[in-house]
Amino acid sequence: MAGDVDPSLMQDFLTEAGELIEQLDADLVRLEQEKDTAKQQEMLNSVFRALHTVKGAASFLGLEEVIRFAHAAEDALNRLRKGEVAVTQRVMDSLLRSVDVLRGQIDSLNNNEPVEQCPDDLLKALRAITTGESQSADDGGQSTTADSQPQVQGAQSTEPEPIQSNARPLKLPAQKQDLVEFMVADLNDAGAQIDQCLEQARSAGTRTDAAEHMVELADSMGKTADFFELPDLTQLIAAFGGAAAKLADTPDVLLDDMLVRMAAVRELARQQAEALDKGLVLSWPTQTLIDRLNSLAQGQKLDDAVAGKHSQCVEGVLALDGVVAAQPTAPSNNQPQVKQDTSDAAGASGSTDPGDAGDGNDNNAKNPGASSAKAGTTVAEQTIRVEVGRLESLLNLVGQLVLTKNRFLGMTRKMRDLHLPHETLEDMAQAAGELDRLTGNLQVGVMRTRMQPLAKLFDRYPRVIRDMARMTEKKLNLELVGKDTEVDKSVLELLADPLVHILRNSADHGVESPQKRIAAGKSETGTIRLSAEHQGSHVRVEVYDDGKGLDRDVLGRKAIEKGLTTQDELATLSDDEVFRFIFAAGFSTAEKVSDLSGRGVGMDVVRTNIAKLNGVVNVSSVKGEGTTIEILIPLTVAIMPAMVVGVGMHLYAVPLQSIIEIVRPEAASVHSVSGQPVMRLRDAVLPLLDMRSRLGEIGPENGNRFAVVVGVGQQRVGLLVDKLIGQQEVVIKPLDDEYTTGGPFSGATIREDGDVSLILDVVQLIRTAGTGQEKAAA
Amino acid sequence: MSTSATATAPSAQAATENATQRDTVRQTDGELLQLVSFVVGNEEFAIPILSVQEINRMMQITRVPQSPPFIEGVINLRGKIIPVMDLRKRFGMKAGDAGNDNDNRIIVVEVASRVIGFTVDRVNEVLRIGSEIVEPPPSMVAGVESDYVEGVGKLDDRLLILLNLERLFSGADLQKVDQAVKTAK
Repeated sequence: MAGDVDPSLMQDFLTEAGELIEQLDADLVRLEQEKDTAKQQEMLNSVFRALHTVKGAASFLGLEEVIRFAHAAEDALNRLRKGEVAVTQRVMDSLLRSVDVLRGQIDSLNNNEPVEQCPDDLLKALRAITTGESQSADDGGQSTTADSQPQVQGAQSTEPEPIQSNARPLKLPAQKQDLVEFMVADLNDAGAQIDQCLEQARSAGTRTDAAEHMVELADSMGKTADFFELPDLTQLIAAFGGAAAKLADTPDVLLDDMLVRMAAVRELARQQAEALDKGLVLSWPTQTLIDRLNSLAQGQKLDDAVAGKHSQCVEGVLALDGVVAAQPTAPSNNQPQVKQDTSDAAGASGSTDPGDAGDGNDNNAKNPGASSAKAGTTVAEQTIRVEVGRLESLLNLVGQLVLTKNRFLGMTRKMRDLHLPHETLEDMAQAAGELDRLTGNLQVGVMRTRMQPLAKLFDRYPRVIRDMARMTEKKLNLELVGKDTEVDKSVLELLADPLVHILRNSADHGVESPQKRIAAGKSETGTIRLSAEHQGSHVRVEVYDDGKGLDRDVLGRKAIEKGLTTQDELATLSDDEVFRFIFAAGFSTAEKVSDLSGRGVGMDVVRTNIAKLNGVVNVSSVKGEGTTIEILIPLTVAIMPAMVVGVGMHLYAVPLQSIIEIVRPEAASVHSVSGQPVMRLRDAVLPLLDMRSRLGEIGPENGNRFAVVVGVGQQRVGLLVDKLIGQQEVVIKPLDDEYTTGGPFSGATIREDGDVSLILDVVQLIRTAGTGQEKAAA
Repeated sequence: MSTSATATAPSAQAATENATQRDTVRQTDGELLQLVSFVVGNEEFAIPILSVQEINRMMQITRVPQSPPFIEGVINLRGKIIPVMDLRKRFGMKAGDAGNDNDNRIIVVEVASRVIGFTVDRVNEVLRIGSEIVEPPPSMVAGVESDYVEGVGKLDDRLLILLNLERLFSGADLQKVDQAVKTAK
């Protein structure tokens, strides 16, 4: 059946399931660490809800494999919820693995691959949890009832008792009692969908689809009602389903009578859901309503006295069919109640976790056609999902707009020399200024649509650290700070891998084993802190661990071994420069290669990915006390401010972020230290890099050159350029063909006059500053 | 000669008939090859018309320091940055004597989904020739390594060197040329 599903629905499901699974993962890890039973319970509920939502959506789309497996996991989880199984590492291992399998299944669906079956051993482990076997091995003592194998749906075992009063307390076996909350959510969910269907059923074009959908909904609602022993509701829903099945064939004259009665059933279901939440069961004299629905379904007209006398509202028909006494104050329209329902449901389940938001989305996802009908009344819809491609093309357009604006501004400046009337020039300048401002705002606005909180990444890492801790048998504690910090989507993506590598390194190489830590007088548990904050136009992400720190001697020895430096050179290097070797490809100080790290690939990935983002990585470390790795990246990668400078005959752009200052060195302050020109800048010595020879530029010598002081980390170099043109917003265009990648450029940009300027890659310039000079000397 | 075989697609024919007034049709029995011919140095070359994206007048080319010598630089092609190759240098011909500068053109081609431009002294014409008059390349053609020569077309009064663009612009070959140029220095 999965094949028949509307691809857009499928896509919605996959996106949403992906998000829920991320949340599941995070919640489960938190759950394991949580000691407070009340909070544990809350998290279990949240986890359960998320899993249930995935399952629900999967069953709607008929994804058998996913349902089967989610169901098994849910059963196991349910035992935890009820406190029949304690939260132990073994249980959590199985549950976390389940989440992985689920994620794998969703991924396969995403890639249009067949969904893999759940591994048997995992299913067995889950069943073991469910049935309580082997659990004593873990913690013993816990009282269990091996007979209860909770089923969320489908189990039916009771004879309905006659009900007389309108409301009676709900009496259910404990194991069902537990699920009432979900029943309420399900009913509300289905109700909201029915509202949409009923709306669609009014127009002939969509009636057949809507009817089919309602039959399905009635089927599942009926089962739920039956499961909770609600005979009135069960009967009503059965009649509703019967009517829905015949809806497409119903003559137009009967349609009104029928639809309003279907809406009435839905209203009764809503009331029941509300009452259920308070632990009450409602009953009504529904026979007339059911009879009339049935006869309408068979195409029989109602008595003239009744037909069309429902005054077009649910209350009308309920009164007419004798279900309730007429209520003058009752709302006359269904729509506002739907809204209320959803908020009620959210409020009733008393939760603030995103699982509920997921439920809300469900409705929209499943009924895209109906959302327009709802749009007028729904308040919940404050976000929309937009395809990334559209945002991308918007950003491209804005990039081009910025270029055109730059050209335009350049032209206005030239026009000043044209001796035009003063007023014309002023108008022109004003318009240009306005354009500049608006483009700037637009650019910021578009860029902000692409911003996402780092939480999207950070929330994955507790799991990574947990697994690391399990595998390395260390005690690790991960602190997350500032995960609300927002960055561009592309930054987020490129940051994902580096952070995992850094965290793994910290956990594997940084933090010591508990024994060693105690011996060193530290606390047994190692702390890894991942923090993020905005710093001007940059985002600063820092990974700190209180482990053993980097060892200069070990790193130095290894670097010499790898031929990265020589004994003599090593002595002259600062600690920072030595620590930097960890970023070299294939560099690893680990004695043995483990599953987790030690192959010397990770930090290389960090360096390349951060370089792609025009970012900077810094390492600082105190031996015995810990290591800090700091990543600085610009907020966005597409547009950046730059200083345009002239070297020889050409213009180049230097990213403003890496410029520290610009000075004009006097001839007297420039010296040469072993062939390397340097200048004295205040109380420091600044190496100079002659850009003219570095870039092979020719042209008239300019005796009065500028030194653009650029810095990466602690390193400073002065770039000697011939002239300064000015500051400009530049749109970065990649130089990714294989012919032009050799030079020290991070990309190219288009100038005001339409010509191309290259953007200097400061990191590369600084790195090659020394070697370039050596070559020149040789 | 599979690349140019596709050039005989009817739609392409119609398009180029509009595009050029100097369309030359040659008598033929076999397949029709539709080519753009141009001059570099003293030789006349031809490439399949379908691989040509556009032909531009000379424009400002920004030199990219430390790129291979036969890369003239990059140009701004309506907001896209594309590399431009100097075919003279690529073919190891002497620089200079490019004829009338006004005739110089940048031909922008799409090869293996990459867009790249190259400079030529002059663009001649769009022509159609029968595949039967194309002969496989002799082992050495006038200073051009025969690797990227697809064949030689014999016209009434002249020879046409048919280029294989994919090989002309393939990275591995370029590195070889790059090395050769460097060692020659």
